[in-house]
Amino acid sequence: MNAIATILKPGLLTTVQDFGRPGLRHCGVPQSGAADRFSFACANAALGNPPGAAALEATLTGPTLRFDCNLSFCITGAEMNALLNDRPVAAYTAIDARQGDVLSLGAARIGARSYIAFCGGLTGDDFLGSFSTYPPATLGGVEGRALQKDDRLCGASLTGHAVRTIPQSLRPVLTHDFILRACVGPDAAMIDPSSLEKFFATAFTVDRRAGRMGVRLNGVNIALADKRPMTSSAVFPGSVQCPPDGAPFLLLADAQTLGGYPRIAQLITADLPLAGQIRPGDRVWFRKVSEAAARDITLQKQALISASLPEFSFY
Amino acid sequence: MKDSPDSGEKTTPIFEIKPFGGNGWIAEFSDSNDNIAAALFANAVARKLREETAPAAVFTDVVAGINSLTLRFDPARADAKEARAALADAIGATAFNQTSGDTKPMEIPVCYGGEHGPDFDDLCTHLSLTASQLIEAHATRVYHVLTLGFAPGFAYLGPLDPALHTPRLDTPRPRVEPGAVGVAGAFTGVYPLVSPGGWRIIGRTPARLFDPKAPSPFLFEDASTVRFAPITASEFSSRGKAGP
Repeated sequence: MNAIATILKPGLLTTVQDFGRPGLRHCGVPQSGAADRFSFACANAALGNPPGAAALEATLTGPTLRFDCNLSFCITGAEMNALLNDRPVAAYTAIDARQGDVLSLGAARIGARSYIAFCGGLTGDDFLGSFSTYPPATLGGVEGRALQKDDRLCGASLTGHAVRTIPQSLRPVLTHDFILRACVGPDAAMIDPSSLEKFFATAFTVDRRAGRMGVRLNGVNIALADKRPMTSSAVFPGSVQCPPDGAPFLLLADAQTLGGYPRIAQLITADLPLAGQIRPGDRVWFRKVSEAAARDITLQKQALISASLPEFSFY
Repeated sequence: MKDSPDSGEKTTPIFEIKPFGGNGWIAEFSDSNDNIAAALFANAVARKLREETAPAAVFTDVVAGINSLTLRFDPARADAKEARAALADAIGATAFNQTSGDTKPMEIPVCYGGEHGPDFDDLCTHLSLTASQLIEAHATRVYHVLTLGFAPGFAYLGPLDPALHTPRLDTPRPRVEPGAVGVAGAFTGVYPLVSPGGWRIIGRTPARLFDPKAPSPFLFEDASTVRFAPITASEFSSRGKAGP
């Protein structure tokens, strides 16, 4: 293994991620992978890595690391005042670092997650074909956990065409007020009809309990019309579940595979990456769209992106 | 895989197919009196869809629940109506009388109550059972593995003695210990890993249910059977130290 960098300060929650473990939910294995898949893919594209090459995901406060070789890197997602040897670093752009250079990230003022990709990608503990860190099961990444001081990052040697800089028009615009498009979920009939109306018409505030598994939303209390316990059934990243306590939660990348609470809404796939940038205290509105619109919007957005990132897919 | 519509009485259960977001369909089987049959059926349909119908690139997920089956597809590769039809066809082509075989039940040691079963005493009170009645009701049965899900290797086991049926916690616990044995509704299950969870925890097993380094990382195979064997707290400690 080829050590490319050493962690000097780990930040709040920095993990190795890729695109995770798709298609294994029937074994109880969550997808995991980058919470904001699109920003992640941008960081890789700038360097010529495949879109899902392993990279770092930093949460709210980023890490400080020292390069142990000459290597280019790219930072995308939430802006964390990145400095390379005390000089500001341009985001969405491939930057050449030299051995001994120190890259430090601070606190994000807006958005929740930054990505740091390295030319060639990272490696880590493999589980079922992915290096994605899933701490609840100590899987992937570096010993299945968040990075700690003195951890060494190991490089891979993936290659491809480097875009070098991601066009301004493609870069996600982050906010504290998220409008997320969602379809009515399969269990919407289990909640009180006026609650469903309010769900799609009111702002929710993101609770302190927010993580890669999901975010809890405070605001309107969603009343269940049908309080019979539900038998466990599939949930996915982007599912909004509503437990009897009335506070809905939006599931994200590390979502469990089955849930026992009514699924009242399902985010459209194109808005999932944005949902990965939600942080405690932010406000969230859900805008109702049809299933056909959910597909159309996602396919159109994919077509738009593919002009610059031909290998990127929302699925 | 058993797939013989002509053997036994083939009945297609009543089901409803609903959209699940823009790229999914969920088939829900009507609340039958027989959750076990419904779950084994959902698993059989899921296997058929995974193995016979389309490559993984078209159907991105096929997930059996207890009374449901969810199929997700990539709209760039599959037409929504065709995906729905594939789901309906697989249901129609699967026999309802699935069996889970005659394998010897896997024995899982469990230390009930005390520090290992934080909801044990409440549950005894709520269900008007003595501690030994609760343990006996839980440990004497052979359970079917109905589906894997919720967490890596987490198996839904049933049927649970009706005397032990109980709703989930209103607010899930932020942390459930690995090996925790819970009950919820008509099911029991074991948490293989540390995770949040809403099942009522009545005990804990020292057995390791999930080993990411093993060639087959999930201890519970689809369609096997399980029995719980009560152990004492000191047996738990000694087995815990001995490892899996």
